[in-house]
Amino acid sequence: MAILHRSMPFAAALLAASVSWPAVSAAADFDWRAHEGETVNFLANNNPWSTTLLKYQGDFEKLTGIKLRVDSYQEQQMRQRLTTVLNAHSDEVDVFMTLPSREGMQYAAAGWYKDLKPYTEQTVSPDYKFGDLSKALVEAAVFDGALTGIPLNIEGPILYYRTDIFEKCGVPKPEKISDLQTAAKKIKECDSSTTPFASRGLKPALAYTFSNFLHNMGGSYLKDGKSAFCTPEGKAALTTYAGLLRDYGPPGVVNYSFYQLTSLYRAGRSAMSFQSSNEFPGVMEGGARLKDTALMPLPAGDGGSHPTTIGWALSVSAYSAHPDAAWYFVQWATSPEMQARLAMEGIAPPRASVRDNADYKAWLAEEPLRQSWQDTLQVLADQGTSEVGVPIIRNPESREYIGQAVNTLLLGTGTVDEACAAADQALNGLSAQK
Amino acid sequence: MSSQQSPKTQLAALSAPAVIFTVAMIAFPFCYSIWLSFQAFSSVGTTSFNGADNYVRMVSDGEFWNGLAVTFYLYILSLALQLFFGTILALVMFRSKKLPGIVRSLFISPFMMPPVVAGMMWLVILDPSLGAANYILTSFGLPPSEWLASPGFVVPTLAFIDTWQWSPYVALIVLGGLQALPPSVYEAAEIDGASPVKVLFRITLPLLLPTLVAAMILRSVDLLRFFDLIYITTQGGPANASNTLNIYGFRVGFEFFQLGYASALMVTLSVIVLGAVLVLNRLRDAVAW
Repeated sequence: MAILHRSMPFAAALLAASVSWPAVSAAADFDWRAHEGETVNFLANNNPWSTTLLKYQGDFEKLTGIKLRVDSYQEQQMRQRLTTVLNAHSDEVDVFMTLPSREGMQYAAAGWYKDLKPYTEQTVSPDYKFGDLSKALVEAAVFDGALTGIPLNIEGPILYYRTDIFEKCGVPKPEKISDLQTAAKKIKECDSSTTPFASRGLKPALAYTFSNFLHNMGGSYLKDGKSAFCTPEGKAALTTYAGLLRDYGPPGVVNYSFYQLTSLYRAGRSAMSFQSSNEFPGVMEGGARLKDTALMPLPAGDGGSHPTTIGWALSVSAYSAHPDAAWYFVQWATSPEMQARLAMEGIAPPRASVRDNADYKAWLAEEPLRQSWQDTLQVLADQGTSEVGVPIIRNPESREYIGQAVNTLLLGTGTVDEACAAADQALNGLSAQK
Repeated sequence: MSSQQSPKTQLAALSAPAVIFTVAMIAFPFCYSIWLSFQAFSSVGTTSFNGADNYVRMVSDGEFWNGLAVTFYLYILSLALQLFFGTILALVMFRSKKLPGIVRSLFISPFMMPPVVAGMMWLVILDPSLGAANYILTSFGLPPSEWLASPGFVVPTLAFIDTWQWSPYVALIVLGGLQALPPSVYEAAEIDGASPVKVLFRITLPLLLPTLVAAMILRSVDLLRFFDLIYITTQGGPANASNTLNIYGFRVGFEFFQLGYASALMVTLSVIVLGAVLVLNRLRDAVAW
């Protein structure tokens, strides 16, 4: 399974077109000052990408003469405001950050995204290089033939593990998912002060990490249009993920999300932590883990290796009163120059050219672990799937039921048969809703 | 304003801004929520009138009943704790008139802290692996707790945090009530030789009842709508053990985009809050002196 799981003929055509880059004349006529004096309202998720990018806000305003008004919230509050504004068909927001793997299908079905395909063909700076952006992430943002956003970063859950503890306990690098349990068992016996394995246990958040287990173990969320948790692969994934957390996870893992995972690993209290690649700068803060950590994608299972790979995207609202000026901001923020700048501040770049950029390579070479981080991300880019939760319009809600199934096993309130049956029933009901 | 206008007209003109403000800021959103609660929202943003379907759905929705139970459990536990500790704190401050100002300020400082900050702080303290709470417990040879991560312990833990934050607020209200009690009653009790315990239970607390009910009303409105602290610390978990009606409604509305059903849940919660206030108002009338 590749990230291009929603294969769409349009996307292939779009990508092919973008590589050949036919709009030479449009590019030649391109003028960064074309929308001077206009104001663009940007609704941002207050995450490392936006905070880093907005340090250069002045450069954008100087280059284009466009005033950028920023409204920044934490992720959930941003979505709350966004759904209110878009549902009211308001032009209050021109540009916003979005996670295509989560809300993409829903927002696209509601008609809330402006199709950016014509802009990428007709209104582009000569040095923009649309075809340089990750094909997988571009494809993940294509819904019903419309390009709904431009990728901002690439991310996914990866395994951070302590080489010193592995060495002390005589544990080899895990090659298969089943090795994780063996390694965790050995570490538990060898070093009781360390949590052998940690990952997300918080109900609404765990689909992000659990999905990788499901796919690697040969499972999928849907089979013949029906929820497939009660297949042997689905049950095996539930049992393995919940079992690892229950038997070898930290106390209180049922409330664990990125914040707790990062704190625990950074403090040297977990031997393996399966969590977001985005947390790399946070995990390495203070430098304590720089020399004793190795990174890798989740080991393969019976179904192979299908890392979860997603990315934030920048979209233009269908109700924007200044869509052309908004596109200028999108274009500037996702340009090779800006993405190279951001990469050197720890934002994993979705552009191949940035990964080959000399300055970025020099930055990676400063610390061997940075290079390892980039190499792991490359595996995610090459082999990943963006399926986090059930690929239906009600994807955000589906994550709730996935989390519930894992929590049932984690808390011991039901058997795997009860957990999978409850999830299948709820998810089939959700799929049937419009 | 012309001097020929009647007092009635003048009154209407003067109160118009307040009336307009109230209608715009309170009545309109509430009426709009009621209207929304009779709508079905598709996942792609279209709406259609669906009568009382959202309210009917509530009856068979286990999560609604769970939310209702959690809401009342948290409400009753927190209110009882806050009244108890708030009254004790007020009595200490009332008796210790020489208490330095800085100590009094420290006593009341928690409720000046934004709930989000308080939530983050307690999240760190109560972290089962890295937090100070378990470190202290284990230092004394006591078993560690999972605090907010234990389905059976999460509501008492949330009630404890809220009590830590809001007892000082109750204490300030009770302190005001204590200062307004008639000294003559205490003088009479002293002449009759009443012990301090008898004075407390036979005079002070009965006379304080109207003040305590006023504090109950103010806290009830907040506690029944308990949101920020839960959202920061548990998001309704683990396993929906702290999923109050307010948290459930928020998630249904803004995470799952079922604004009609979420509005029905919130209208129901508003009716519950209103009912609680009306009952407590009756109680206040009954204990007035």
